[in-house]
Amino acid sequence: MNDRIATGHTLRVTPPQLKELRALKIAVIHPDDADGMQLTQQLQRIGCQVQAFWPPVQVLPAGIDIAFMAVRPDIIGLRFEWTQREDAPTVIAVVTYENPTIVDAVLALGAQAVLPSPVRSFGLLTALVLARETHKENRSLTRRLRKVEAKLLGARHLADAKSVLMKTHDISETQAYDLIREQAMSKRTTTEEIAAAIVHASEVLSLGGRRPC
Amino acid sequence: MADKDPIRIGILFSETGVTSTIGLSQLQGALLGIDEINEAGGIDGRELVAVRYDPQSTPSRYAELAERLIVQDGVNVIFGCYMSSSRKAVIPVIEKWNKLLFYPTLYEGFEYSSNVIYTGAAPNQNSVQLAEFMTSNFGSRVYLIGSDYIYPYESNRIMGELVQQRQGSEKLAERYMALNATDRDYAEVMADIRNKQPDFIFSTVVGESTAALYRAYADAGFDPKTMPIASLTTSEAEISQMERGMATGHYTSAPYFQSIQSDVNLRCLARLRQRFDDCSVPNLCWEASYFQMHIFANALRQSGDESIAQLIPHILGSEFDAPQGRIKIDPANHHTCLYPRIGRVNAEGQFTIVRQATRSVYPDPYLVTHSLGDWAAKLDTLAV
Repeated sequence: MNDRIATGHTLRVTPPQLKELRALKIAVIHPDDADGMQLTQQLQRIGCQVQAFWPPVQVLPAGIDIAFMAVRPDIIGLRFEWTQREDAPTVIAVVTYENPTIVDAVLALGAQAVLPSPVRSFGLLTALVLARETHKENRSLTRRLRKVEAKLLGARHLADAKSVLMKTHDISETQAYDLIREQAMSKRTTTEEIAAAIVHASEVLSLGGRRPC
Repeated sequence: MADKDPIRIGILFSETGVTSTIGLSQLQGALLGIDEINEAGGIDGRELVAVRYDPQSTPSRYAELAERLIVQDGVNVIFGCYMSSSRKAVIPVIEKWNKLLFYPTLYEGFEYSSNVIYTGAAPNQNSVQLAEFMTSNFGSRVYLIGSDYIYPYESNRIMGELVQQRQGSEKLAERYMALNATDRDYAEVMADIRNKQPDFIFSTVVGESTAALYRAYADAGFDPKTMPIASLTTSEAEISQMERGMATGHYTSAPYFQSIQSDVNLRCLARLRQRFDDCSVPNLCWEASYFQMHIFANALRQSGDESIAQLIPHILGSEFDAPQGRIKIDPANHHTCLYPRIGRVNAEGQFTIVRQATRSVYPDPYLVTHSLGDWAAKLDTLAV
């Protein structure tokens, strides 16, 4: 240990990604062969809660965080419903081949990492943590993106709605906004929703002619 | 070890099971090579002795027997495997003990192991040439049919992409059949083919059920002149299992056909007949199995040591006058420079070679997108 480095920096803290390892619920969807055993045993050494499945299942038990999945030639034609869900577990593919047919199947599974066969104990823990982290990050980015998109759409609706009101009622922008806000308050909803309703109604009735920009 | 001690080498070809016809021919190729080497004085006076087991066309048996060859029989080099599943079963064993495998079979590519020498064709040495030939001569509406495993999946992906480079191309179907599929299974496929009327059928059916495919085709009354079967895996061995004339008019792409009229091939075939009477059916996998034994022996003469570290430098880049032509082991990817050919089955169950490469084609096992019109795809016309 180099003392200078240790003391020169803030105290090291074990990352939560590593602390949560023993709380992870893991499905091993793999035949019960040498690779399947190596995988299950190493995950148990790490201290994860492991459940093994084979042949592949269409429905996974609730609460599975990570699924190790053997991507073998005999199952690449199958589609697994649980991989398509929004709360799908992190998928780590275990592959024997590396040709485009198999890589295509790995992509279709939405895998975050790949373990080559024969499976070795070394490297599994890091792959597990990285795949989990990438998957979580992706999921939270997707959620934030969705929120931002909704926000952006709301702002556009608001601008459009104000413009509709200004034209039809011959009022100022501030007055238009006050009108929308009053409506939202009395209907107990958001200004964005009222704005969307106004834009929609105006489009249906073609009141505003061409949409104002 | 005394200087005159024999050298034991491992042989793993299926003598029984669904791929035994090819397996037996590969075995004979290896044994013929060993005989020739021993008759010429062995490896500096040391005899090559084959230790051979029958993995019965079962991948798990391949793995067990490879381990037995290494651990109990003490071999350093193994010659064997046919289907990709058998190769994939053996590679972890070979790598674990750091031994060497010579694999004499065409396969789908996308593999390199520093412990394997690949002497069969990669897709850029057979599929591209076949697609070029078939689409130029018959059209580009193709019906894909193969055995249900990885080689046909990947071969069909490549063939599908290749034909789509032609105008008016269409992939009419992609069918996978069990390795033990029967005439009845194929009869149903033929009904579908009658409906869809492809320009040609691309087959990567392997093993004993190949005969059932061609029989069903003949029973359906189709004409190879207008809608032939094009294959990478139907060799003289599979044809020998069919009734006479059943495969006539169909096409296969391979680096070797028995009918090659070179001195090297004719002499080699004569020695084979002498050794095994008439019970052998030389084919592309037989030839690869034969020449790779000589590649090994030549390297061993130079290294004087069978360990992989000593042997490999003398194998990589080495050349040999094989029955198909002068082949070379590519030092970078461990595959082999080969001579693509297209053959049409004649009335004798042999191939009339209609196209042939004048120079060898470099192996490119990691090529994702193949192109028609590439120089390697263009072969010289020998017959129409």
